[in-house]
Amino acid sequence: MTPQNGNHEHHILVVDDELAIRMMLADFLDMSYNVKTAENGEVALELLRENRFDLIISDINMPGISGPQLLGRVRELYPQTKTALITAYNIDEYIKAAKERMITNIIPKTVPFNFAELEFIVHGLVTGDIFGLNRYLLDGGSVIEQNTITSTAMAKTVQNHIIELLEERFSTSGDMKLILEEIIANAMYHAPVDEDGSEKYREFNDVVLQPDEYITVECGFDTEKYGVSITDNLGRLSKETVLYKIERQITGEGLLDDSGRGIHMSRLFADRMVINIDPGRKTEVILMNYFSNKYRGYKPLYINTL
Amino acid sequence: MDNTAIIISFLIVALSSGCAFLIARCIYRGRLCIAERKEPPSRDGFSLSNRETRQIEISKNELELIFDSIPEQICILDSTFTVVRANRSFSEFAQKPIRELIGQKCHKIRRQMDAPCEECPAKMTFEQGLSIFRKSFPCTSGDTVKHFEVSVFPVFDENRRVVHVIESARDITDEKLVTEQMIVSEKLASLGKMTSGIAHEMTNPLSGISGNASNLLSMPQKYGLNEKGVSRVAMILNAATHATAIMDDLLHLSKKPDPASVAVNLNSLLMKTVSAVHIEDAGDIERIFNMDDTLPKFNCDPAKLQQAFVHIVTNGLLAILDRKKNRVNENLFRGLLVISTYRTDDRICITIADNGIGIPETIKNRIFDPFFSTRPAGQGSGLGLSVSNKIIAEYGGRIEVDRINDMTRFSIVLPIRTTEPE
Repeated sequence: MTPQNGNHEHHILVVDDELAIRMMLADFLDMSYNVKTAENGEVALELLRENRFDLIISDINMPGISGPQLLGRVRELYPQTKTALITAYNIDEYIKAAKERMITNIIPKTVPFNFAELEFIVHGLVTGDIFGLNRYLLDGGSVIEQNTITSTAMAKTVQNHIIELLEERFSTSGDMKLILEEIIANAMYHAPVDEDGSEKYREFNDVVLQPDEYITVECGFDTEKYGVSITDNLGRLSKETVLYKIERQITGEGLLDDSGRGIHMSRLFADRMVINIDPGRKTEVILMNYFSNKYRGYKPLYINTL
Repeated sequence: MDNTAIIISFLIVALSSGCAFLIARCIYRGRLCIAERKEPPSRDGFSLSNRETRQIEISKNELELIFDSIPEQICILDSTFTVVRANRSFSEFAQKPIRELIGQKCHKIRRQMDAPCEECPAKMTFEQGLSIFRKSFPCTSGDTVKHFEVSVFPVFDENRRVVHVIESARDITDEKLVTEQMIVSEKLASLGKMTSGIAHEMTNPLSGISGNASNLLSMPQKYGLNEKGVSRVAMILNAATHATAIMDDLLHLSKKPDPASVAVNLNSLLMKTVSAVHIEDAGDIERIFNMDDTLPKFNCDPAKLQQAFVHIVTNGLLAILDRKKNRVNENLFRGLLVISTYRTDDRICITIADNGIGIPETIKNRIFDPFFSTRPAGQGSGLGLSVSNKIIAEYGGRIEVDRINDMTRFSIVLPIRTTEPE
């Protein structure tokens, strides 16, 4: 039953009680990875005892051990193995369970299933090659703009420029204007800190950044979507913080919080948000909107940490 | 002062115990009495004293006052359905003074018809001599349709023949509207719970169906699939995608309101929405905007509210196209969609009116039902308006439908919410 090629570099375990889903994922991943499948958590744990996997992708709702429980065990027993959940259900409802076990990737089972997205995420997880908007664009897509922000004044110019560019090219910028401002402000005012750990710049003040604090903004597109990426060169954002903030916003507790609003709004207003963190080096927030609404709906959770 | 109070309290008691009929009957008898007394009465050879005549006069006035104070519309009809007596409520409904109503046919006044209605309760009372009660009876008044709760009582002569009927009608249009909306929202709530469960469960297998179909399409040789096979698998994929669109609509019916909202300019959201709806052949339909610039911003999830508008606008445009299709000879017919906004003290009103085929009275109270559709299978899920209704209800508003000047008008009424301070 389990498709085996055996010639690929990386090993992936797919766990789903639904045979059709298991096969669909295996058939696709089989082209680039060594794939094994399991129909439940018990079988998965057995396979893990005898095989080394780079990544385990598990359904959430399964009889017996649930997906989050299984991945929680995997994180304890095999800390080198990356983990991702996959579900047809509302991902917001599983953020709490994910946060408790530090599971930072939840892939939606969209209809039609978004294989390209699966490949971007899986590739990033197994190789660690996560940075750059280009990595998330289909073949033929490209990054068309790259801007560096060194001051408050420049942030405004770049923001406006990107929105104009999107409007001009795609006659829409979605809600990018709103979230771009928030994410750039995060990178500018919340990322740089003094030696004592307190934030260096006050929000809304005019700021001139130090060379090591520069922010890069990329803009690109492919046949199905356009995207913007915002990168700081500090890497202070942690996945714990992101999960904490997203959860607070989902439960409504953080509704009036000022902090975390940018991340929450991005998740709400952009079709896709990917957060890549290289601790102490850089943080990248990628925001993407699809041209068609077929992949909209439940928002996935993608936080990658090196 | 005391007298009025007594009369009013008497009325309240009388009405609450369903005695309007008795009072009306008293009035009726009083009328006959008074009519008889026009000539000097000479029954048994006795004439009434002045004091007695005065007393009768006082009772008559009192009874008339009571008659006119009854909020129910009361009229007394003879066997030709001619009004012989009417109270003030009835005259207010008819928008004519009482004296102009006397001698007119009831069906002419109530429904502007030349013959009695098929289902006329007064007719039945005359024929069968029974009291008749109708929970809901529609009547037109000007441009609008009003609904009445009607009771008809027979008045017998000495030979037990029905000589007159007393018709008592209560305007229940508003009540009916509220009840209908309550039923709709209750139905939606229970349906929502059930369907969200089903829809969630369906997404998983649908994902499997579409995912496997995509795999087959991307690697046909690997699975030994020829051209015909590829086209059939593509059909499977399309069907799964269509099913998902229906599931999405269903899920929307049961979703909790979004906690995140922003202050939205509804005028521009509406304009954006109307221009975003593209339907084949609908390009030459004229769209007129009457926007109130003083409209306050509304706190909401714009995408969600937009969805509510899209369904109503789409329905309006399709109704216009249907009319065009049905009446090929109407060369002069020009499709027209009128979008207006205005505010009252505490409400924002958005109306979307179309001069399309209109909504038949028989299906009017079903248009917000999930899965109710007049369109052929495969065209629309029948969920559009129920989704709109759900979204508007989430924001504490409601949608009303009426017909005015040959146009079907959807009115979206939203409560004005204060914007949180920045």
